[in-house]
Amino acid sequence: MPEERVLGRNYPRVDAADKVSGRSQYAGDVYLPGMLICKVLKSARSHARILRIDTSQAERLPGVRAVITGRDIPDVRFGSGAVRDRRVFALEKVRYVGEPLAAVAAVDEITAQEALDLIQIEYADLPAITDPIDALKPDAPLVHEDLPRYEGYAAGMGGNVCTVLDSGRGEVDRAFAQAEHVFEDTFRSQGINQGYLEPMACVASTDPSGRINVWTSTQGPYQVRGALAAVLQLPMSRFRIIPMELGGGFGAKLRLCLEPYPVLLALKTGKPVKFVATREEVFTLSGFRLPTTIYLKTGVMQDGTIIAREAISIFDMGAYLGAGVQSGVSHTIGPYNIPNYRVRSYAVYTNKIWAGSYRASGVADVTFAVESHTDIIARKLGMDPWEFRMRNALKEGDTAIQGGRVPRNGLQQTLEAVKERMQWPRTSEPGHGVGLALCQWRSGSGPSSASLTINEDGTVILLTGSVDITGTDTVLAQIAAAALGVDMHQVVIAKRDTDVAPFTGPSGGSRITYSQGKAVELAAEDTKRKLIALAAERLEAPAEALACGGGRVYAKEAPERGFSLGQLARMSLTSKAGPIQGTASLSAMPYAPVFNTQAAEVTVDRETGAVKIVRFVQAQDVGVAINPMAVEGQIEGGAVQGIGRALSEEVVIRDGRILNPSLTTYLMPLAPDMPAIENVLVEVPTEEGPFGARAVAEPPGFGPPAAIANAIADAVGVRLKELPLSPEKILCALRGEPLEEITLDLELLRALRGAGGSIQWAGSG
Amino acid sequence: MKHGMHLTINGEPYELLVEPYCSLLDLLRDELHLTGTKRGCDEGDCGACTVLIQGKTATSCMMLALDAKDKEVVTVEGLARGDKLHPVQDAFVQYGGVQCGYCTPGLIMSAVGLLRENPAPTEEDVRYGIGGNLCRCTGYAKVIQAILKAAEAMRTA
Repeated sequence: MPEERVLGRNYPRVDAADKVSGRSQYAGDVYLPGMLICKVLKSARSHARILRIDTSQAERLPGVRAVITGRDIPDVRFGSGAVRDRRVFALEKVRYVGEPLAAVAAVDEITAQEALDLIQIEYADLPAITDPIDALKPDAPLVHEDLPRYEGYAAGMGGNVCTVLDSGRGEVDRAFAQAEHVFEDTFRSQGINQGYLEPMACVASTDPSGRINVWTSTQGPYQVRGALAAVLQLPMSRFRIIPMELGGGFGAKLRLCLEPYPVLLALKTGKPVKFVATREEVFTLSGFRLPTTIYLKTGVMQDGTIIAREAISIFDMGAYLGAGVQSGVSHTIGPYNIPNYRVRSYAVYTNKIWAGSYRASGVADVTFAVESHTDIIARKLGMDPWEFRMRNALKEGDTAIQGGRVPRNGLQQTLEAVKERMQWPRTSEPGHGVGLALCQWRSGSGPSSASLTINEDGTVILLTGSVDITGTDTVLAQIAAAALGVDMHQVVIAKRDTDVAPFTGPSGGSRITYSQGKAVELAAEDTKRKLIALAAERLEAPAEALACGGGRVYAKEAPERGFSLGQLARMSLTSKAGPIQGTASLSAMPYAPVFNTQAAEVTVDRETGAVKIVRFVQAQDVGVAINPMAVEGQIEGGAVQGIGRALSEEVVIRDGRILNPSLTTYLMPLAPDMPAIENVLVEVPTEEGPFGARAVAEPPGFGPPAAIANAIADAVGVRLKELPLSPEKILCALRGEPLEEITLDLELLRALRGAGGSIQWAGSG
Repeated sequence: MKHGMHLTINGEPYELLVEPYCSLLDLLRDELHLTGTKRGCDEGDCGACTVLIQGKTATSCMMLALDAKDKEVVTVEGLARGDKLHPVQDAFVQYGGVQCGYCTPGLIMSAVGLLRENPAPTEEDVRYGIGGNLCRCTGYAKVIQAILKAAEAMRTA
């Protein structure tokens, strides 16, 4: 029986046929009998005291079944990061336009909307602070007056500072004094929405027994369960979270989002309640990325060796801490071996919607700064930007910013691959420019567990609590099939919810293949051991003499002696050890960085300032491509998101109000705008990942802003330090008009003291 | 007040009472529970709700249900013949054109509409043919490849 080779093969997604047929069920596709519709009333003010909320008229409207505000629920603060600073509904004051104030359940959407219009709110406006740099000033209005009393708040910080992170190594001041050249640049990124196509949706219903079923669009069902229990002050065991097919999340659906509203209303009315966000609410109800300002100072020797770096980044957190800044700040060194550095980041409160996660929160912003700065330095030194990067690139055995040594990796191979594809160094054609960027990601870790059972017909049930967005179910099935030596079609992925599947971390930070995949591999090994033990007993042979493969367990010396997996499963029912089941759990995986080198070739229209990407090449070290088609799909999609970030996307916020909460005015890339993406998959296996696989999805989105900015500089000599790289800015620069300078009070920023905290690599993005 | 209407959806005749403000998308999803057609924006920007009306693509969120009176509507549920997928659906499966799948029904309907008018599209024709469909996951590369492969398969079938 020849064993099918399952690793490295382009299996279509296990869910693809359902998806192309319209059969897949997303949370918004759940319709229950007697279901009510939920709508949420949101603050119209940036910063104001709430004097009165009057819901009486809304409650009297025919068809309205319930209206709730913060007065109707336990006063609990929750948080997704270090500080517990948020409530389900604003109570004493509102801190941003869009903050939830009340929720309504009604028989239909029109009635629910009408009820919102009947709720009267009286506000007393407070001075609002919307610029994070102004928010750091000593006299700035406070977003949270009670901040020092919040759970999780680190003592010693003041004003609107939510967290400060510091990290350093070596003798920074001495290195700067020794450096033959010192360069300083300041960059700013823009507000970016995650742009998932499926607006968040949730349906909640209660059982007669009191259990609460929650069908929701989430990347992290166990995290939603924990947060709901904490926020509603109910036992966790009352919640059953059913993660539905997920229409994209990219971080936006990592944590508790709109689930509390339908759950509270279902508890109050006893009816199923559905809440589907509008596209506008994708911008106003769920956090996205706010602008980041990044100052970089680098000391370099004449030969191009970087010896010192100082980095100060200011992350606008909006009104509450959504995604933390660990990921971003840990990448301000870039994928370079810099012996002396001091990096600091501020997470600052402002009166804007809270900053949520998006594809390794903050790393794309920081990579734009670092990789633009890298190019600026190379050009000022008269060095080739590729040579300059190669000279300073991290190597195996170097010290990683997160601590420990840099393990085996393919960074240099990705640089070489792009050099070869682009035929670097190339003299660009007139009007053309080429630019490079290196991207890195620490890879995702976190708690993971999986279980496998063998059915009496030899098929395998794989139970995994992970939500599949990127094709991970298919990859996990490939891992299980390869480890057990069975065909792919014999592996069935169980439908799961939080009652059924064992705990796992959320699907984010590129952690599923690397970490959950490891748990699946180990669970398959555990299963295999049990199969072999049973076969050894029945064959009266030592376990070491047996092998598992081709859907059988057999004697190595006499392969005809053995049993099929189905036979063993049937025998196991009456065996001493009982039915065959394998499990495995782990809490963390070792640091295994992912590197991607990107090159963009562009033309710039001098009349309009429009940038056209004529070529885009990327090479990524993927460890081992378990499913190359899926891997390519991830890095192509990531690169195109990065191109949108580079050229066209910007959430415009003025005085705390989002001006473009719509896909008409928030411009994501469409097919006609995009170049063909050329991919090179470099395969340098990780030491611990399943079959050597590495994390994949995060890095490709980081590089395009810098690669394209560097290409624009190469094409027309214009250096833009603020995203997006819009035609307006390019035209201004081409006409010699001054671009807006980003000025920072560096003395203040260096002097402000934070409680600090170490930079860790674990967790998700 | 509800109005009576007749229309055909995926070959089946329907006699319905419909509110005048009800969009075709609302009718398909909320009344008939044909949930394959997706709501991404409700503003005609994302293309996830694309269906065929009299063989031409339309965003069903931007159309009143009553305007589909007496028309033939085809949704993503109406493409397969029993267990046999439409060649465009099959190509999306085989060539990795599907990731999260939320934009997929709309993309497939746009592709089917395109190939009815232009059975031998160039890559650029395909890019413009799906130019009204947003996809955030794939970067479009494998979607375009799938549509070109489907066109080839349909021409040689």
